[in-house]
Amino acid sequence: MQTILNFLVRHNHWFLFIILEGISFMLIVRFNNYQSATFFTSTNGMAGGVYNFLSDIDNYFGLRSENEQLLEQNVSLIGEVTELKAQLKDLQAREAMMRDSVVCANISTGFIFNTASVVNNSLNAVNNFIVIDKGVADGVTSEMGVFDSKGVIGIIYLASNNYSLVLPLLNSKSNISCRVRGGNGFSSLQWDGADVRYSYLVDLPRHTVFERGDTVETSGFSSIFPKGVPVGRIDKIEDSVDGMFYRARVELFVDFASLNSVFIVGNDGHKEQNELESKIDGK
Amino acid sequence: MTTVYLIRIRNFILFAMLQALVFSRIHLFGYATVYIYLLFLLKLPRHTSCNELLIWGFLLGLTVDMFGNTPGINAAAATVLAFTRNSVLENFIHKGNPDNLKPGVHTISWGGYMGYTIICMLIFNVVLYLLDLFSINYPLPLLISVASSTVLTMLFVVVTECFTRK
Repeated sequence: MQTILNFLVRHNHWFLFIILEGISFMLIVRFNNYQSATFFTSTNGMAGGVYNFLSDIDNYFGLRSENEQLLEQNVSLIGEVTELKAQLKDLQAREAMMRDSVVCANISTGFIFNTASVVNNSLNAVNNFIVIDKGVADGVTSEMGVFDSKGVIGIIYLASNNYSLVLPLLNSKSNISCRVRGGNGFSSLQWDGADVRYSYLVDLPRHTVFERGDTVETSGFSSIFPKGVPVGRIDKIEDSVDGMFYRARVELFVDFASLNSVFIVGNDGHKEQNELESKIDGK
Repeated sequence: MTTVYLIRIRNFILFAMLQALVFSRIHLFGYATVYIYLLFLLKLPRHTSCNELLIWGFLLGLTVDMFGNTPGINAAAATVLAFTRNSVLENFIHKGNPDNLKPGVHTISWGGYMGYTIICMLIFNVVLYLLDLFSINYPLPLLISVASSTVLTMLFVVVTECFTRK
């Protein structure tokens, strides 16, 4: 202890020196713009370096949770991929089927197919309309059928040069001839203006054999749609008001709230058939 | 004793004013400046204590700084010089020299005095210009400033020495 004290006393000028230099340095940094700028900048650089180092360490310890998170993400992504693959397969199969049916229909009945996009769509009215971006210029005329990959949408009501107005199933004026797939009776499909998910087969004959869950498709009698375009699934069966027919509620395949691309189908023989029918009527 | 300190304070003011009002304003070629006020420190007798030297050096530097608008720079450099002066001086005088020896040409020959002054000036200038540049990224300007200032100051030291009375 004594030696240390002696040492400190003997070298007291060192402390004075350090104190004076400290004061000078403070003055330099405090009152000289250039020096203070340099000093504080380099200090900041040092601080930045330290923080960088610390955050590196921090990151290292965070790796575990990061890994877990990535693993979870991977699992969910794998699930999504599987689901999408299944969907793709499904869609491919459906498309192949449709292509086949289109070809068949084309050959057998002279139906013309076209594609279009929905540009406007209403759901909330009793008489809803859909606007699509194909018109007379694209060979679209009124009384053509409109459907998408899921099923029937409606009938073209009016066609301008580049746009067409579609009378969808969700319109009280819509009236499409349908039948139960595999069954023998047919009926017209009408909407009651209430729920956009359901429409009604209003006059199914009593001799028709069907049950809940049967698929409803176009009958082809109206000559607007080819035979067998899906419409919906029978959801509820009841008697019509006069008791002469069945009244079946049909759950529609098409989701009218999310329409995008649609197919248009026209019949070459439509006019001829109409003329013939009108001749019979006239008689 | 009192007379000694009165003379010292007079010299202090003289050197400080000479430096602050005349020499500090001359920057030859933008590099060289004469730091004649250091002679005050160099001329203090051999037995001056280190603490006293430090305080004289600090105050002198601070005074010059106050006039030269460079707070701290001269003070820091002059303090370093004051701190090292005694050890430098010991290398240029003989053991037999008296304690109250006042460094000068007549007391420690031309060679010894020149060596002592040059080394002190170099120490001072290196510290001063390092603090002034506040960076070691410009070694060439630093070197030029230190060398030219030392040479120029030495010129004035020699002249002063030629005119001092024995």
